[in-house]
Amino acid sequence: MKLARLFALLLMAACAPEPGPPLVVSDLEIMAPLPGRSMSAGYLLLENRSDAPINITHIESAEFGRVEMHETVIEDDVARMRRMTSLEVPARDAVRLERGGKHLMLMQPVAETDRIRLDFYAGDSLVLTAVTQLAER
Amino acid sequence: MNRILLLSLAVLIGLGAGFLAWQSTSDEPPAIETATLLPAPLELPEFSLTDQDGNPADRRFFEGQWDLVFFGFTHCPDICPVTLQTLAAARRQLEENGMRELPRIVLVSVDPERDSPGTLKTYVEYFGDDVAGLTGSEDALRVLTDGLGIFFQRMASDDENYNVDHSAVVLVLNPAGQFTALFSAPHRPSAFVNDLPGIFAL
Repeated sequence: MKLARLFALLLMAACAPEPGPPLVVSDLEIMAPLPGRSMSAGYLLLENRSDAPINITHIESAEFGRVEMHETVIEDDVARMRRMTSLEVPARDAVRLERGGKHLMLMQPVAETDRIRLDFYAGDSLVLTAVTQLAER
Repeated sequence: MNRILLLSLAVLIGLGAGFLAWQSTSDEPPAIETATLLPAPLELPEFSLTDQDGNPADRRFFEGQWDLVFFGFTHCPDICPVTLQTLAAARRQLEENGMRELPRIVLVSVDPERDSPGTLKTYVEYFGDDVAGLTGSEDALRVLTDGLGIFFQRMASDDENYNVDHSAVVLVLNPAGQFTALFSAPHRPSAFVNDLPGIFAL
């Protein structure tokens, strides 16, 4: 009886979802600023592996004074860029930040470095830290 | 028997080679799929701007070569570099395809306040050798953009990091300096690679 219970517990443990970070980043590219420019764009895929939506409210970086979330929208052949005040990654879904669409805008570089660290926040909680090297275009 | 087989093989090979030779000489450009052609080439208005080297540029600036013209600004982090890279990639592919008359790429700044000729020069040179830039006062710029149906509008901002909304089309200008065709956004290199030979042959 005890043995059977132990076995059931072990089985449950084996079947439980693997513990891991709820928010996962891939394809992260922070472009090196173009000649004469100090601002840069960032592209990435955000995957929410949890059962609840995650609402990113701001991003901080030690290497840039300001990191904003923007979206390029093309309507009637006019390109408009709009700042997004938050970005929701739905539960068990992914959001891609890509060229000509949603993207990061990084401004006011504070250090001469190729290594960039980004901290993604949902309100007060840090939900993701991503590190990458600056990418050439 | 063997001889007949060899002979028919030789004839077949000959026919095949002949067909390939005929195919490669009949260089009809592919049908235009993406670009919109103007019913008739449109003359540019009498504009007066400055190029990236600080030289005055009027209508004659566009004469003598095919031009791909995009309107944007150097403080634009996403769509402008992406479009210029798309055009540069298309031009490299056309060169590999053997096109002899390659178009020049021209960025017309819709942000005259921040884009001096020097700023433009550093920026456009990054995208390749034959990339030019035009800038000037806003009034001078409006003469060209109004004449071509190009929209731009500076957006309000609480600091110096303002954005400019702008038309994202790419215009094709012929060597007579006339506006002949346009590509709508979003842009893909393959659209230019496919359509430009046909547009240049019109």
